[in-house]
Amino acid sequence: MPTAARAFSRRDSVLLVACVLTSIIARGLPDRLRDPVAATLRQTVLTPLVAMQRDAELTHRAWQSREARTLAQDSLALRSMTLDAVQAENERLRLLLGLGQELRWGFVPAEVLTGRGVGEDYTVTLSIGSRSGVKPFSPVVAPEGLVGMVKTVDPSMSIAILSAHPDFRVSAMAADGSAFGIVATHLGAEPERYLMEMRGVPIRSTLKPGTLIVSSGLGSTFPRGIPLGMVLGEIRTSELWARTYLLRPAVMPSEVTSVMVLLPERAHAGVESVWRAGRSSDSAARGVIAAADSIARVNRADSLATADPQGVSRSDARVRAPAADSAEVAHAAADSARRRRARARARAESAALADPSLRPIQHSDSAPKPPDVQPVPTPP
Amino acid sequence: MKPAELARTLLAFVVLIVLHYTVRPLLGWRAAPDFLVIALLVVSIRVRPGTAAVVGLCVGLISDALDLQAFGAGALAMCVVGFAASWLKAVFFADDIILNALFLFAGKWAFDIIYLLTEHQYGFGELLLQLLVWSPLSALVTAAFGMLALLLLRPILKPQPA
Repeated sequence: MPTAARAFSRRDSVLLVACVLTSIIARGLPDRLRDPVAATLRQTVLTPLVAMQRDAELTHRAWQSREARTLAQDSLALRSMTLDAVQAENERLRLLLGLGQELRWGFVPAEVLTGRGVGEDYTVTLSIGSRSGVKPFSPVVAPEGLVGMVKTVDPSMSIAILSAHPDFRVSAMAADGSAFGIVATHLGAEPERYLMEMRGVPIRSTLKPGTLIVSSGLGSTFPRGIPLGMVLGEIRTSELWARTYLLRPAVMPSEVTSVMVLLPERAHAGVESVWRAGRSSDSAARGVIAAADSIARVNRADSLATADPQGVSRSDARVRAPAADSAEVAHAAADSARRRRARARARAESAALADPSLRPIQHSDSAPKPPDVQPVPTPP
Repeated sequence: MKPAELARTLLAFVVLIVLHYTVRPLLGWRAAPDFLVIALLVVSIRVRPGTAAVVGLCVGLISDALDLQAFGAGALAMCVVGFAASWLKAVFFADDIILNALFLFAGKWAFDIIYLLTEHQYGFGELLLQLLVWSPLSALVTAAFGMLALLLLRPILKPQPA
């Protein structure tokens, strides 16, 4: 800043006093005098400045609202991601429910505990142990097929090896029984990490891609009929008198969250009909949808049955045609008849399920067993 | 003051006024820089104290026109600060960046003190908070922005050889 020493003169003092007096007068002006002065200033000198200030503040608000909008979008995206996870879990549990309905007895549901460490990609920790009846070599299954086998059992937890484990072997066959072999892990690089191979298939047996491979039941550890995977193709090996096929596993180990452990009695009894019955999840889903429809129909029929025909207003009577009324009543009558039959069936099933020998084993780690429930029911 | 120098000072003054109404709302800070005080001080050190007081009065009235509750308070503070700055400019004879920053800091804080004491809008506790916390912070920011503005406007404000 340039400087120049100047003392203030009398004129400067007078100007200062005048300015200070003007300011004090302006400060003390009544509203009726102050407002016109301020309005004049705003409408003349300040107009362009206020316009610039308005634009700047609008820009500032737009910037701030952009941040808020981004936050809202992020929250929405996060919520939708959570929704997908919930839907996937719902689907998974529905599948497991369907499998439980098919198995009916001799199994224990278990949660796969996450948080595995490095080098533990081929083993999982299960939330159940010997207190629930789990024993070593119990098969671990999922709605899609075989997951693995229990290796170590503690009172409240157990460790299972997955089908991708290098030590895992299972005697297998084609679903139609045309070929037998031993299924083991493929031990490939990352893209083929979880693939399996079916070794020792006789040279005369040819399997087409897409053929379902199931456990053969030989060796008594795994019961017959648990899906293991689908044939992807044949692998060329040095063996001359046997073929080796590459399989896509029925259960991807990385996606396992909830499983069922088959108890030895259930494994001995056989599960061949369980996976042969088709997708058990479909039956569970159909059951849920049918139950919802039934409830809706029952409510509708009840509302029609309880409606007083005399209480219908004239306008309603004019609007509603007699033919529509009769059709509605006919539908309601049919629904009521169907409902009676469904109730009779449900009572019969409930009576059957009340038999302890038909109940699945309850999870003793999470909730105490009622006294009338047998820990290990006998097979029917 | 020569006409050319007067024109350059006027240009810097207008630029700083425009910055006050554009940059300050854009920042949206509570302790915001006061470009009006910077503009007043830039002009004050180049004119006589009486003229600086008049300029301060005009700038203060313009700013007060948007705040009717304190109409006149800003004008009083501005004319006192402008007069004092013009009178004391002999102290700041060197073109030293620290002294200029101190000059801006003291000018803005003095303005806030006069303004807050005149407008009577705060209670005692809140007034103390404003005077001892927010006003020094605002003066600090004003000094920083003032130095930046003076550096940017140096080509305009630099005395031209005769």
